[in-house]
Amino acid sequence: MSYEIPMGPYHPGLEEPYKLDMICEGETVKDAKLHIGFNFRGIEHLAETRNYIQVIALMERVCGICSFIHTLTLCQAMEKLTGLTPPPRAQYIRVIMGELERLHSHVLWAGIAAKLMGFKTMFMTCFEIREKVMDVLQEISGNRVNYAMNRIGGVNRDIEDPQLVLAMVEALEKEMTRTIIPIFTTSKTATSRCAGVGVLTTEKARSLGVVGPVARASGIGQDLRKEAPYAAYGEMDFTVPVVPDGDVRARLLVRALEIMESCKILRQALSKMPPGEIAPPGDGSKFSFVTGTAMARVEAPRGEVMYSVSWKEGARMPSRVHVRTPTYVNMPAVRFMVQGARLADTPLIQAAVDPCYSCTDR
Amino acid sequence: MSTVQAVPVVASAQTEAFIEKGGVHWYGDSSLNVRDVARAMNAIGARFITITTYELPANGGFRLEYHWDLMGHLLGFTFPLASSTIESIYDLCEAADWIEREVHEEYRIDFSGREYEPLLLREGGVCGVNLQKEVLQ
Repeated sequence: MSYEIPMGPYHPGLEEPYKLDMICEGETVKDAKLHIGFNFRGIEHLAETRNYIQVIALMERVCGICSFIHTLTLCQAMEKLTGLTPPPRAQYIRVIMGELERLHSHVLWAGIAAKLMGFKTMFMTCFEIREKVMDVLQEISGNRVNYAMNRIGGVNRDIEDPQLVLAMVEALEKEMTRTIIPIFTTSKTATSRCAGVGVLTTEKARSLGVVGPVARASGIGQDLRKEAPYAAYGEMDFTVPVVPDGDVRARLLVRALEIMESCKILRQALSKMPPGEIAPPGDGSKFSFVTGTAMARVEAPRGEVMYSVSWKEGARMPSRVHVRTPTYVNMPAVRFMVQGARLADTPLIQAAVDPCYSCTDR
Repeated sequence: MSTVQAVPVVASAQTEAFIEKGGVHWYGDSSLNVRDVARAMNAIGARFITITTYELPANGGFRLEYHWDLMGHLLGFTFPLASSTIESIYDLCEAADWIEREVHEEYRIDFSGREYEPLLLREGGVCGVNLQKEVLQ
């Protein structure tokens, strides 16, 4: 006999509202239905009522974790409509901020995953490390979230003390190789909770169009930083970790390896960052937009973010802003990940996608 | 040149079928059938990204822009809609499920050949009131 178990919208594993209705037979999940929209804010509609300065502040609030990435993608799209190219130093600062955001997002995820595995000590360790990244972000921008770093044609703040970032990178790398990666990859607790759990096959991942670490953990090596480089990523030497297994352990491994690659990118960007301006000359308050639509894509910590921005010449406000976030395409895959799984594993399976409902509902 | 023939050479920019503008390789012919495009994209292994909807002024209908990724290139196909109906590609491309449901809820556009379940709207929500500027009651 099958029965239905609702999980959410007040969620036992994650602090964001969504609901998963699971059809179970005994302790085994046979199928599931996902419900979102509890956070729907109509931000795309609001964007049509904001001018080109205000819209950056608004879109920064689509997501608290990857707020920098949202303004970066929006500004890159608007730069295509204004014909502005950010100065080289600004391009490097964008890379550094993007990778710092990836670091704190991935370490936050590792902490939450550890908590769901029953690994409370590891949860505390991960959050202690994440705090060091947040301190650096606060030192650079003045804020722990919503950094207000991006502007059309450049960035608002310089990185005045690269040594501060470098010292954090070294400490984080040391802690990753000394503690986090060995424990996650060798402990029996982590292996028994993650290996072979929540499998998404390569074929299904392709069919669903999943992105980011979820795709790379299912054997699909897509990463916009390599495939369509933006900012100064074309000048960085790094590899894209790909694991073919498609289970929770693979997603964990991919993110751990990506943390190490982010450290590598940060070192290069900090050492190669050229001197010079960080924004176009002038007060930065007047731009000439051409009529049309422009799009930009960026590799956020959770995968590809796409912004489509439409403008009419002479207008102060956009006529349309459309956002496609990574969780929006990754979350439908949860239905297939939980099929055949034990009910007790489903919170961890959902968390392994690293979902963001603030982004998804917009 | 058909869509299927044109798309693989976008990467080397050897075709005039696509025009690069605003970060997108736009396919010039807007008279294509959306399901033919979806089949062509499947055939070449392109990855579906999203549908962007524009409400045209003065009740001029809608414009739908479908996007696929091919080897890091963003491909765009435009479909003007005089009415509020277009064929669904959900059965050909399951990645289009959520965005078709969202566009249906936000603009009251029907994707024929599929059934909907609520996505963003909660109980009591009315299709078309979220982003459509002039709600047709």
